[in-house]
Amino acid sequence: MHAHNPYLPELATVQEVIGETHNICTLRVVLNDPEKMKNFQFTPGQVGQLSIFGVGESTFVINSPPTRMDYLQFSVMRVGEVTQRIHLLNAGDQIGVRAPLGNGFPFEEMKGKDILFVGGGIGMAPLRTLLLFMLDNRQDYGDITVIYGARSPHDLCYSYEFDQWRSGGANLVLTVDTEHPGWKERVGFVPTVLKEEAPSAHNRVAIVCGPPIMIKFVLFGLKELGFEDDQIISTLEKRMKCGVGICGRCNMGSTYVCLDGPVFTYSELREMVPEL
Amino acid sequence: MSGKVFIPQDKLASALERLNEKVPVWVPVSQGADRWGIDFKPFRAGMVPVMDRQSTALPKEVIFPQVQTLMTFEYVKAPEDPGRVQLKLEEPPEAGNALVFGARPCDVRGFFTFDRVFTEGPFVDNQYKDRREKTLFAVLLCREADEACFCSSVGSGPADTAGGDLWITPVEGGYVVEGLSERGGSYVQLLGDPATEEQAAAASRSQEEVSRQKVGSLDPSGVVQGQKDRFEDKDFWRSMVNQCLGCGVCTYVCPTCYCFNITDEMRHSRGERMRSWDSCMFAVYTQEASGHNPRPTKLERYRNRVGHKFSYFPEKYDGMIACCGCGRCIRSCPVSIDIRKVVENLKERSHACA
Amino acid sequence: MSLLSERLGWIVFEAETKRLHELVKAVLPELDGIVGWEQGFDALHATPVFVNREEDVHRLMWSPLCVHNLSGYLVKTPPFLPRDEGRKVGICVKGCDSRSLVALEQEKFLGRDRLHIFGIPCEGTVDWRRVMKKIPLRGVSSVRREGPELKVEDSRGVHSLPWEESLARRCLRCAHPNPLVHDVLVRDPVEPRIKKDEAYGLVEEMDQKSLEERLAFWSAELDRCIRCYACRNACPLCVCQDRCIVETRDPKWLTQKMGISEKFMFHMIHSLHLAGRCTECGECERVCPMEIPVTLMKEKLNQITREILGYEAGIDSQLVPPLLTFNPGEHEL
Ligand SMILES: Cc1cc2nc3c(=O)[nH]c(=O)nc-3n(C[C@H](O)[C@H](O)[C@H](O)COP(=O)(O)OP(=O)(O)OC[C@H]3O[C@@H](n4cnc5c(N)ncnc54)[C@H](O)[C@@H]3O)c2cc1C
Ligand code: SF4
Ligand code: SF4
Ligand code: SF4
Ligand code: FES
Repeated sequence: MHAHNPYLPELATVQEVIGETHNICTLRVVLNDPEKMKNFQFTPGQVGQLSIFGVGESTFVINSPPTRMDYLQFSVMRVGEVTQRIHLLNAGDQIGVRAPLGNGFPFEEMKGKDILFVGGGIGMAPLRTLLLFMLDNRQDYGDITVIYGARSPHDLCYSYEFDQWRSGGANLVLTVDTEHPGWKERVGFVPTVLKEEAPSAHNRVAIVCGPPIMIKFVLFGLKELGFEDDQIISTLEKRMKCGVGICGRCNMGSTYVCLDGPVFTYSELREMVPEL
Repeated sequence: MSGKVFIPQDKLASALERLNEKVPVWVPVSQGADRWGIDFKPFRAGMVPVMDRQSTALPKEVIFPQVQTLMTFEYVKAPEDPGRVQLKLEEPPEAGNALVFGARPCDVRGFFTFDRVFTEGPFVDNQYKDRREKTLFAVLLCREADEACFCSSVGSGPADTAGGDLWITPVEGGYVVEGLSERGGSYVQLLGDPATEEQAAAASRSQEEVSRQKVGSLDPSGVVQGQKDRFEDKDFWRSMVNQCLGCGVCTYVCPTCYCFNITDEMRHSRGERMRSWDSCMFAVYTQEASGHNPRPTKLERYRNRVGHKFSYFPEKYDGMIACCGCGRCIRSCPVSIDIRKVVENLKERSHACA
Repeated sequence: MSLLSERLGWIVFEAETKRLHELVKAVLPELDGIVGWEQGFDALHATPVFVNREEDVHRLMWSPLCVHNLSGYLVKTPPFLPRDEGRKVGICVKGCDSRSLVALEQEKFLGRDRLHIFGIPCEGTVDWRRVMKKIPLRGVSSVRREGPELKVEDSRGVHSLPWEESLARRCLRCAHPNPLVHDVLVRDPVEPRIKKDEAYGLVEEMDQKSLEERLAFWSAELDRCIRCYACRNACPLCVCQDRCIVETRDPKWLTQKMGISEKFMFHMIHSLHLAGRCTECGECERVCPMEIPVTLMKEKLNQITREILGYEAGIDSQLVPPLLTFNPGEHEL
C-alpha cells in the first residue's frame, strides 16, 4: 500500500495462472517493486484489491500463507465484470494490487488448540491461507481436520495439493454432493459429513466459509456438536469499493467489513446488525 | 487578526472581485431568474451572490467534488520489449486554495463528519485532506432558519462559527465581516472599509440575538438504543418510509453524506479511476455480483441512512452525530420525508420498550 | 408530529377532506389499504400516506398542496397492490394523476379492477418553490386560498399572492383537471383552465429559438443536474427502475462523469422512452431539486406524437400506445 494514497495500487505482474474449475482460476502475483515484495507482511485472512485498470477493482483473499512469500496467490470465481477480465489474464500481464486489507484470522489465539476447517466451493480460498500457515507451524496446533466439499469433483479447488495437505498433517475429508465415476472420497453435503465426522468441540476452533446455505446448516451442526459462538469463525462478503473504511459501502451497522473484518467470530456477528 | 470591516450591499460584488484575485472564491448564486434555489459556484465578475436563503446544492462540492479523479493510468509498450505491455499510473495534481463565501454554519459543520472518516485513519484520504486544508470558509450568521432546520438540536446553531475563517454578519445596508482564523483574518482588510462603531455594534447585537436562538426541538439522545430495539420492526420502518422514491436527493444535498463509488473509464489505452458521489438510497448500492442484496428494499436502505447518521456514526466516533441539522433532506425530498420524525419515533418506541 | 400539526394551520380544503374521510370509511373494510396525502412537515408541504386502519383515516387530506402523483406506488417496487385477486387498493388521484392510471392500464401494468379510485377534481396545485421565490417566507404557520388569492402567514405576518402565480407550471397548462377514471368523485368537477391545443405554448416558444439558443438553454439547465434520478424515480411510467441505462454496466451507456454530454444522454433516453407514453403529470419537473424544466422535453415529444399520430397517452384505456404497436405496412417508420 502507498502510505500517502490508500487508493493507489502497487503494480504487479501475474506470474502464473492456474485453472481450478470451470469458473475459478488462481493467480500467482508478484509486486513489481522487489523491495516491497520482500517486505510485504500480512496475516492469514487478510485480503487484497486486484485492479484491472479500465475495468475496476475487486476484493479477494490472499490465499497463500505469509510463510510462503514467493508470490501472493488469489483464487477468483468468475461472476461479473472484473472477475471476467481476471480470467483472461496470462502470465506476464500487469495488474494492480492493494494489500493487505482487513483484519485476518486470530491465529495466535488458536495456538495449542484443535482446529476444524469447513469449506465449500470457493470458500476454501480463505481457509487455505490459514491451513497452510498452520501446516508450516504444525507444532503450534493440535488436530487439524478439514472438511471440504463441492458440487462435483471438478468443482474442488486445489485438488493438486490435497496430498501435500495430508502429508503435512491435516485430516482432510473431501466430499461431493453426488456420486461420480472414479470418486473415492465421501459423497454428501458438507453439513451431513460434518455430522458423520463429529469432531469434538472440546478445545477446538471451527473456521467456516462457503455459500450462505451451507454456512447456515453447518452452524446448526456445530451447535449440536457443542461449539459455542466464540469457537466459530467465519468470513463475510460485502460489496466493497475503497477497502479502507472510507467510502461507506460495506457497513453492517457501525462495523465496516473492510476494516473490522472480513473475519468475525459468531459471537461478534450476533452483536452486529443482522444485515447479511 | 484584524478588526471588522463593512461591505455595503452594492459593493459586495467588487469586494468579492478583489478577494477572488487573491484566492478563488465560491459564492451562492441563483439557479436562474425565476428559480428559488441557489447553488455555490466559482465567482466570476458580475455575479451577484444570494445571501438571503440557504442553498439547495452544497459547497460540499468544493472539497469533495461530485466526481474526482483518483489516478490516471496508461497501458504502454515496454521500451525494451514492445511485445510486453506495461502500466503507468499517475496521481492527480494537488488542489489549489479556495474560499467559500457565505457558507452557513451547517454547510461548514458537515465537514466535521467528513474529517473523522477521511483524515483520522487508519487510512488517510490525502486528496480530501489536501483540499480541506486549503479551503477557507467565510461563515454567514444565519438568520433564515425555517421549519425544516434543526441545527441547534445536533450541536450547532445559527451563530455557530466552528470551522469558519471569516464571519459575515448581515446588518442594515450590508455586511460586517471579521476574521475568525489567522488565515481568514488576513483577507479582512481587503473586503471593505473599517466598520463604524455603529455598524460593529449592530453586528454584535445581531450575533448575540441569533446565538440565543434555538433552531429545532429534536432531542437525538436515546436513538442509538432505539435503532437497536426497532431494527427488525419492519412495520415501523415501513410506516416511516413507505412513500420514499429511492432517489438520491436526500443524500446528494446532505452536507454530511460522503459515501462514494469508484469506477474506471478508459479510451484506447488511457483512462482514469474516479470516485463519484453515490447514494445508499440507490437499489444497486449494496447489490453483490451474485445478485444478492443485503438491503433489498427502501426500508432497509432508509434504515441504514438514519442509522448511519444517528446511531452507527456516534457509536464509531465518540457520540458524534453525522447530521448537522440543515434540513436539506427534508426540504428537497420530493415526498417530504422528515428525518426528524423517524428519529423522534425511534426514541419514543425505545422508551416504550424500556 | 402531533406537536407540529397543533402548532400550524393547514391549507386544508375542509369540505373536500371531510367528504374524502366519509368516502374512505365507507369502503375501507373492503380494501387492502389506500394511498392518499397527509400534512407534511410544514404548512407548505403534504406527504403521501398509506392508510389501512380506520383510526388513521383522519390523517388523509385534500388541498392544493397534495402535489404528488401517487400512481407510481402501484407499479414501483415494492408495488402497493391488493394481496389477492378479488381485492382492491384505494388511491386518491387528481385529474393528471388519473391519466397515469389509464396509461398504466393501457400498457398492462395495472388492472382497473384492482383499484378503488377516489377522484378529486383539481383547481391546480401549489408550487412551494414558486411561492417562496415570490415571498421569502420564514416559519410558515398557515396557508389558505381566499378567492383569487393565496394567503400565507409566517412569522412576519400575512402575505398574499395571486392564486395563478402560486401554481405549478403543469397546472397552468392542464386540460384534464377532472379525473378520467374514478369510482367516486370527492367533489364536483371543475372547469378546465385551458384546452389541450393551448398546452404547448412553451414548446412553441422554444421552437422559435435558433438551434444555438436552444442548445445554450438546455446546456445551462442540464449543467445543474446532479444526476440524483428523482425525475426518473418519480415518474409512474418509468418502469425499468433498477435496470435503467444509468445502472446497467453491460452494455455501458453512461459513465459517472458529470459532463454535459452524460446528462444529455440520460435525459434524451429518459424522454425518448416516454415519447407517446408520458401523460404530462409533471412529476419529473416537480421533484427535481435543481428546478430543471425536464417535463418540457417530454412535452415536445408528445406534441410531435399528437401531430404525427394524433395520439395522446392516458386518455382512453382501450387504445394501444402507438410506440407499442408495430405494423409492417406502416410508412415512414
Ligand atoms: C472480503 C472479501 C473477500 C473475497 N474473497 C474472494 C476470493 O477469494 N475469491 C473470489 O472469487 N471472490 C472473493 N470475494 C468476492 C468478490 O470480491 C466478488 O465476487 C467480486 O468483487 C465480483 O466482482 P466482479 O467485478 O466480477 O462483479 P461485478 O458485479 O461485475 O462488479 C464488479 C465491480 O464493477 C463495478 N460495478 C459493477 N456494477 C456496478 C454498478 N452498478 N455501479 C457501479 N459500479 C459497478 C464495481 O467496481 C464493482 O466492484 C470476496 C469478497 C469479499 C468482500
Ligand atoms: S430524497 Fe426522499 S424520496 Fe428520495 S431517497 Fe431520500 S427520502 Fe427517499
Ligand atoms: S441528514 Fe438531512 S438535516 Fe441532517 S445534515 Fe443531512 S441533509 Fe441536513
Ligand atoms: S431530478 Fe433534476 S437533478 Fe435529479 S437527475 Fe433529474 S433532472 Fe437531474
Ligand atoms: S469498502 Fe469502503 S468503507 Fe468498506
